[in-house]
Amino acid sequence: MFERFSHEARTLVVFAQEKARDRAAKSIRSEHLLAAMVSGRPDPAAVVLKSLGVDGAVVDAEIDRLRPDGSPPPDAEALATLGIDLDEVRRQVEEAFGPGALERTRAARGRAPRGHIPFDRGAKKVLELALREALRLKHNFIGTEHILLGMLHSETGAAQQILASRGVGLDATRVIVDELVRGRQAG
Amino acid sequence: MTDATKVAAAASSRDPAVGLAAVASLRVLLESLEELQVTNARAQGWSWQQIAEVLRVSRQAVHKKYRRFGF
Repeated sequence: MFERFSHEARTLVVFAQEKARDRAAKSIRSEHLLAAMVSGRPDPAAVVLKSLGVDGAVVDAEIDRLRPDGSPPPDAEALATLGIDLDEVRRQVEEAFGPGALERTRAARGRAPRGHIPFDRGAKKVLELALREALRLKHNFIGTEHILLGMLHSETGAAQQILASRGVGLDATRVIVDELVRGRQAG
Repeated sequence: MTDATKVAAAASSRDPAVGLAAVASLRVLLESLEELQVTNARAQGWSWQQIAEVLRVSRQAVHKKYRRFGF
């Protein structure tokens, strides 16, 4: 399947792995693919997501909120036995470094796994569905825009939930993707 | 946490489960604070040598720990 991937789609997969590693995740999940899409490279999926009003800061914040990875956060009650008020420490840190600063550190997220990180089942499904979406639209390659459509199917993971909460759905996005690809082929 | 439960927690700190959990939480907190401060120092143009001196560790130690952050 990967041989049909566009250059951008291959790059996206590499970036998704880095996103997973940054978050100390044991597998690459759909939300890591989404985070890679909105990390600033102007590939087709990024263009579509931008037109739909989804930006990187929103996606990162949503993934942080879900917080399925990393080491457990410091325990406020345990620290209180030492006379340390975690809420006060957090307040001071956020005053200097901004909201969520303490939780955003790599130390708080846990140790990054080394080497190859596998796709989880949902992310594999996203890539399979990307192929199906490309065939359905009669496109002869799999681009990041098809991966985006793949992750809009249900039961592929958190990316679908994050996008649904921003009002992004499969049917409307298919129309945008098809127009984008046609426009590119025509122009 | 109320004052009474705080005192109760402190009084039971001979309990290894409480004491060790407190140390573990302190370590996570310490690592986060160090990372924030080192990141900030680098952003303000501090050298590894300057950071190491104030942290009272060797330059090699701080560089080895944080070089993968890309600054």
